[in-house]
Amino acid sequence: MKMEDMSLSGLDNTKLEALAQDIYSDLVEDACLGLCFEVHRAVKQGYFFLDDTDQESMKDFEIVDQPGVDIFGQVYNQWKNKECVCPNCNRSIAASRFAPHLEKCLGMGRNSSRIANRRIASSNNMNNKSESDQEDNDDVNDNDWSYGSEKKAKKRKSDKNPNSPRRSKSVKHKNGELSNSVNADPYKYNYNTGINYETLGPDELRSLLTTQCGVISEHTKKMCTRSQRCPQHTDEQRRAVRVFLLGPSASSLPDADTMVESDCYDASDGQVLMSRLQWDGSSDISPSDSASSKASTNNSDSKKPKKKKSLGLNSTGGGGGGGGGGSGSGGGSSSQSSLVGLSNRKKKPKLPVPPAPSIYDNLN
Amino acid sequence: MSKDSQMRAAINQKLIEMGERDRLKELLRAKLVECGWKDQLKAHCKDVIREKGLEHITVEDLVAEITPKGRALVPDSVKKELLQRIKTFLAQHSTL
Repeated sequence: MKMEDMSLSGLDNTKLEALAQDIYSDLVEDACLGLCFEVHRAVKQGYFFLDDTDQESMKDFEIVDQPGVDIFGQVYNQWKNKECVCPNCNRSIAASRFAPHLEKCLGMGRNSSRIANRRIASSNNMNNKSESDQEDNDDVNDNDWSYGSEKKAKKRKSDKNPNSPRRSKSVKHKNGELSNSVNADPYKYNYNTGINYETLGPDELRSLLTTQCGVISEHTKKMCTRSQRCPQHTDEQRRAVRVFLLGPSASSLPDADTMVESDCYDASDGQVLMSRLQWDGSSDISPSDSASSKASTNNSDSKKPKKKKSLGLNSTGGGGGGGGGGSGSGGGSSSQSSLVGLSNRKKKPKLPVPPAPSIYDNLN
Repeated sequence: MSKDSQMRAAINQKLIEMGERDRLKELLRAKLVECGWKDQLKAHCKDVIREKGLEHITVEDLVAEITPKGRALVPDSVKKELLQRIKTFLAQHSTL
């Protein structure tokens, strides 16, 4: 076929148009044929009518087009204006509010306990004039017990208390000063249900203290309600709290070691301690322990004002103070004596033996 | 007119060779499904089959019934687009 005389450019538009139309109709006819073959095969194979619904079902599920009703025939606000009688309080409640009302009424469900607790706490607060605390609500589990005279700074979505501490930022600074003396309790709380320790009798206090950590937070004046092994507070703190609340020679910690108490040694006792230190170092102190005891030396230093409950010892007689003891002896011995107490606290109950003196000999 | 028919044949050949015809075909099919043409026609088929009887339907019957209706039912937009593409092709490949 000679190509040079087959030039479309020579064609006029109508012919071009006709050509295009022809090509187009060829294509459409192809499509139609394709459909016909498909249908014919479906018919002969027997699956052509499979996707049809029978007449009966068609009637059942017809689209409904009446006013006041959706396309399925359901009424929209059927229960809106109906009222039910609450079996508990015998009041007539609107139907859409019935379920939440019942939850509150019966005292079941998640929110009702929260609300009840809030009410208790707020009634506690009403009775006390307090300095407030602007902790953030970081630690949901940390229920602190109140010293008694402090407003709980819990997040209240519904309760807009104008006296709430959160209204004024300045309060925060005050608290910051207070908390300087106590670095043991930097954690926040958000729970208002602290029990006022002042209202508890000694027996209750004692039973509380045997099961709970009980460390009183300086910022919040509340007792920690976590377990005895709560990681936020040290055993020293727990002992101090028990001394504070129950008197010096009252109950002992459940996991008591029978060791000298670490905080308030006199100078004389410091000497006794020193002699003990000269023992052959028992090998039961591990490097990690001494490291930790060393770290907590700083803690005990700052805790000087706090009295600690001695474990089985009379605190007036016993105790060596890491913090307080510094006055008696040199810095080295103070750290050592504090190490004694701290390591005592941390390790096996049976050993009053000081940490390996070899490590700290050079301090002397 | 043989020149004409020769020319047509040549063009068709070119269409096929370049794969353009297949592309156009696919495009047309897709558009027809999209616009519901296929479903319409299928419904018409059902009527025809019910009329003629399921057992005795033949391809010729179907073709005879369906094709004219099918041609008529193609929407204008689809037709225009396809014509446009064909003309573009012709313009691009005017020199054979």
